[in-house]
Amino acid sequence: MQHIRNFSIIAHIDHGKSTLADRLIHYCGGLSDREMEEQVLDSMDLERERGITIKAQTAALQYKAKDGQVYNLNLIDTPGHVDFSYEVSRSLSACEGALLVVDASQGVEAQTVANCYTAIEQNVEVVPVLNKIDLPAADPDNARQEIEDVIGVDASEAVLCSAKTGLGIEDVLETVVRRVPPPKGDPAAPLKALIIDSWFDNYVGVVMLVRVVDGVLRPKDRILLMANGAQYPCDQVGVFTPRSVPRTELSAGEVGFIIAGIKELQAAKVGDTVTLASRPAVEPLPGFKEIKPQVFAGLYPVESSEYDQLRDSLEKLRLNDASLQFEPEVSQALGFGFRCGFLGLLHMDIVQERLEREFDMNLITTAPTVVYEVVMNSGEVIHVENPSKLPDLSKVAEIREPIITATIFMPQEYVGPVITLCNLKRGVQVDMRYHGRQVQLIYDLPMNEVVMDFFDKLKSVSRGYASLDYEFKEYRAADLVKLDMMVGGEKVDALSVIVHRASAQYRGREVAAKLRSLIPRQMFDVAVQAAIGSHIIARETIKALRKNVLAKCYGGDISRKKKLLEKQKEGKKRMKQVGNVEIPQEAFLSVLRVDEGK
Amino acid sequence: MNERRIIPLAVAPAAGKASGDLPERPQLASPPPLALYVHYPWCVKKCPYCDFNSHAPRGGEIPEAAYIDALLTDLESALPQVWGRRVHSIFFGGGTPSLMSAQGLDRLLTGIRTLLPLDPMAEVTLEANPGTVEAARFRDFRAAGVNRLSLGIQSFDDRRLVRLGRIHGGDEARRAIDTALAHFERVNLDLMYALPEQTLAEALADLDTALAFGVTHLSCYHLTLEPNTPFAHEPPPLPDDDLSADMQEAIEERLAGAGFRHYETSAFAKPGQECRHNLNYWTFGDYLGIGAGAHGKLSSHAGIVREMRHKHPARYLEGAQRREFVQERREVGVAELPFEFMMNALRLTGGFPRRLFAERTGLPFAAIETELIAARQRGLVQVDGDEIRPSEQGRRFLNDLLTLFLRD
Repeated sequence: MQHIRNFSIIAHIDHGKSTLADRLIHYCGGLSDREMEEQVLDSMDLERERGITIKAQTAALQYKAKDGQVYNLNLIDTPGHVDFSYEVSRSLSACEGALLVVDASQGVEAQTVANCYTAIEQNVEVVPVLNKIDLPAADPDNARQEIEDVIGVDASEAVLCSAKTGLGIEDVLETVVRRVPPPKGDPAAPLKALIIDSWFDNYVGVVMLVRVVDGVLRPKDRILLMANGAQYPCDQVGVFTPRSVPRTELSAGEVGFIIAGIKELQAAKVGDTVTLASRPAVEPLPGFKEIKPQVFAGLYPVESSEYDQLRDSLEKLRLNDASLQFEPEVSQALGFGFRCGFLGLLHMDIVQERLEREFDMNLITTAPTVVYEVVMNSGEVIHVENPSKLPDLSKVAEIREPIITATIFMPQEYVGPVITLCNLKRGVQVDMRYHGRQVQLIYDLPMNEVVMDFFDKLKSVSRGYASLDYEFKEYRAADLVKLDMMVGGEKVDALSVIVHRASAQYRGREVAAKLRSLIPRQMFDVAVQAAIGSHIIARETIKALRKNVLAKCYGGDISRKKKLLEKQKEGKKRMKQVGNVEIPQEAFLSVLRVDEGK
Repeated sequence: MNERRIIPLAVAPAAGKASGDLPERPQLASPPPLALYVHYPWCVKKCPYCDFNSHAPRGGEIPEAAYIDALLTDLESALPQVWGRRVHSIFFGGGTPSLMSAQGLDRLLTGIRTLLPLDPMAEVTLEANPGTVEAARFRDFRAAGVNRLSLGIQSFDDRRLVRLGRIHGGDEARRAIDTALAHFERVNLDLMYALPEQTLAEALADLDTALAFGVTHLSCYHLTLEPNTPFAHEPPPLPDDDLSADMQEAIEERLAGAGFRHYETSAFAKPGQECRHNLNYWTFGDYLGIGAGAHGKLSSHAGIVREMRHKHPARYLEGAQRREFVQERREVGVAELPFEFMMNALRLTGGFPRRLFAERTGLPFAAIETELIAARQRGLVQVDGDEIRPSEQGRRFLNDLLTLFLRD
C-alpha cells in the first residue's frame, strides 16, 4: 500500500489538464504511441471537441521512481465545469492528493479555486503545478503569487512543466510520489469500497468504479450493496490503464472497477458502499449528497411522430447520466415532449447535443427555467419548474426564487463591466477582493437571471477572461410575474417565462420584436403580443406577405418547380402551427437571446 | 358520370387526411389535345438569370443543318406515340430559335407538316430575340408558316438590359417590334419587372412603351433568381418584396385599363389572343417535345408518361445517329397526378371546369375533393357551379395553395 498513490488533477478548462493526463499516461507506458490519441481520457466525442471532461475517468499507471521503487499511480480525472462540481468531489474522495494545474500565463480561475477548496475540505494534499511554461507569456512568479494569495497554498515548490512539449513531466511524477501520501486502510478488515461512478456498458452491464477503503475483493466473491441490500456475484475486478485490465483482486487503497452482472444503473448508486455478503462491514462509508437538477427546459421532437424515439433516447442517456431527469409534458404549441431537469446550462447543452448527434434527434428546446417556490394563500408550498404551470396569481401569496452565490474571477480591467452586468441581473454584491491583477467578486444573484444568458454575457463583457462558479444559497421572495407571448391572438405556452416585474416590460418588448423578425410573413397580418395576465404590455405586427407565386412555370418542364414547392412544403413541416400561424423553431429559442446590454 | 354533383364543401375534411383511395392507374376516356414543342438550344450568349437549356455555340458555329435533320428524325421516331392524333399548336422555343435561318425553319416546318397531321388553324409560335439580324428574317419566318412571334424584350431601358446581360438595346427592341408587327398579327412581348435597381416608375415606363405598339399579348415576369445561375451565385440588388408587389399590382392595373385580360399568373392578352400552346400546358394537355432537352408529356390508355430528350446539344446530335433521343422517360404515378394537374390549371385565372380534371388525369374528381375543401376554407379557391378557380388570394399565394395538393 506504501507504493500506491491516488491523485487527481484540478484545473480550469483550457489550462491543460487533459493534455497533462495524456502525457503522464504516455510517460508510464499506459498506452503505446500507436494507441496514443490526443486526450485519451476524454473519451466521448463531445468531451474531446469541447475540451471538457464530463465524467470521471481513471488510469492506473506503473512508475519507476528515482528511488528505484515501482509505484502504482492511480490518476482519477475530474470534470472542470461548474455544472459537474459534484463529480469533482466524488473523484476527490477517492484520492489522497490532487495536482493543482495552473496555466502559468493566465493564473488562477474561479473554477480552480472552488475545486481546490473542495480538495482541501476533503483533506486532499494539493500539489501546485504550473503548466504551459513554454509559452512566451508564461509568468510563473505571478502565477505562484496568485496561488498563494487566492487559494492560500504554499506554491514555492510548484513544479514547472509543459504538458504540450513534455518538459518537466518526470518532475511531476516524482512530486506525486513524494508529496501525495499513500492511502491508509486495512486489507484485513471487512470490505468497504466506495462507488465513485457507475455507468452502463452494452456488453457487460453496469460497471462500477470504486475506491477500496478496507478489505480485499476478488472475482467470485458475493458482493452486497449496502444502500438497498441487493447481492450479486462479482464477475470481474480490474483497473483502467486507461484500457480496462482484469486483476485477480482489488485491495485496500486501490481504485478499480467491479463488474457484477447488474442490469440497472439505479441499483449501483454512486456514493453507495460495496461490501461482501459473507462478511459485511458494520457501517457504510459516508456517501455523497444527492444532487438535484437546478435548470429545467422542455424538449420536444420537431416531428411529433418522433416522440417515442425521443423517450427511448432519453432513457438510454439516463443509463449513464443519473443526474438527468425527465417526465412527459404536453404543450399546446409544441405537442408531446418532455420536461427535463439538468444540473446547469452546460449539462443541458450537452444532453441536447448528444440527443442530436448520437441519437439523430431533431429538437426544439424551450427557454430554460429554474425551480420556483410558490406559497399559496392556503399556506401550501408548491414547486414550479414550468412557467405555464404557475397557478393563478390571485391564489398565490408569494413567489420565491432561488438565489445563488456566485464567485467570479476576472482581470481587474473588466471589473467595471462585470459589476454592471451583475447589477443589471439584480445581483447584490457580497464581497470584492484583489489578488494581484485578479479580482474576485462575490455576488448573490437570482438564478433565473443566470440561466437566461448570464454566461454568454459574462464572457462577452470580459472578452472571455472572467470565470464563474456558483452554489445555491436560498429561496427568496421576489416580485415575479408570468410573461405570456401571444401570436395571432393565441397564447404560445412554450414561450411563457417567469420574470421580475421590473424587467417584464422590457423583456416583453424585446421578445415581441424578436418574434416579429423570426416569424416569416404569412398570408395575413399577424399580431405578436406580450401580456401579463390579461394586460397587454407590448405589441408588434408582422405585415402580411404580398405574394408567394412562381412567376414562370415553363409548361414543358415542371420537375424543377415541383421540387421547389416540395421544399417549401418540407420547410413548413418543420414549423409549428399555432392557430393559423406557422412559427419556425428559432423563434422558440429567441426568448433566450434577448439582449439586455443594448 | 354525374357531372353536376355538388361538392359537399360544407363538410369538414378528416384532419390531415388526403383525398380518398386512388385507382392503380389513370383511366383516360380519350387522349387530350396534342401540341408540339421544338427546342432550339443555342443562344449568342447566355444571360445570367437564365436557367433554360441554352448554350453559346462552341467556336461560334451552330450545326444548323445537322440539328434540323436530327429534329426530323426525332419526330419520326416519336410518331408511334402520337399515331393518328392531330397537332393543334407548335412552339419553337429555346435558346434563341430566331437564330435559325429562314430556309432552315422552312425546311423544318415542311418536314413537320409532312410527318404530322397539323390542324389548318394551328398556332405556330417562334421565340425571337429582338436583334437587328433576327428582325431581317421576320418576313421569311412568316412565309415559312410561323403565325405568332414572341419577342424577348425584357426591358426598353439600356441600363437594365446591360445589367440583365442582354445583347440588344432599347432602340433595337423598338425597331424589332415594328418589323414584327409589319408581318405578324399576333405578337407577344416578354417583359420583366423587379429588375436590379429598378424603380416603380421605370417598370411602368417599360410597360407603357410596350403597350404603345398595340401588341395583343404581353407576358410580364417577376425576375426570379433561379438556382445554378450567375445571378443566384452573386445576387444583384433587387427591389424588395413590397416594391416588387407594388410593381405587380400597378402593372396589372394598367393592363386591365388597356383592355388586357390577366389570364394566367404572368400572361395578359386581348380577348381571343391567348397563347393556345401555353393554354394547352395549363389545361394539362399532351405535348410532344423534340430537340435537345425538350420535355414531353403524353397520355395513352396505359397511363401518362413524361420524357426528356438528351440535354446537351452535342449529346443529342450524337444520339441522333442511332435514333436514340430520350434521356429520361417515366410514368407519372397516380399520387402525383392531382398535384401536377393543379400546378398547371390553377395558374389560370379562370381555373378549370370540374370535368376537365377527370378528362385529363383519368382520376375521379374525389382525388382532389378533400384538398379543395381545405383550400376553400382558407379562402384560396372559389367554386362557382362547375368552375373551380383560384381566388384573388389564391393567385397571390399560389405556392401555398399548390402545396395543399402535394402528397407526402
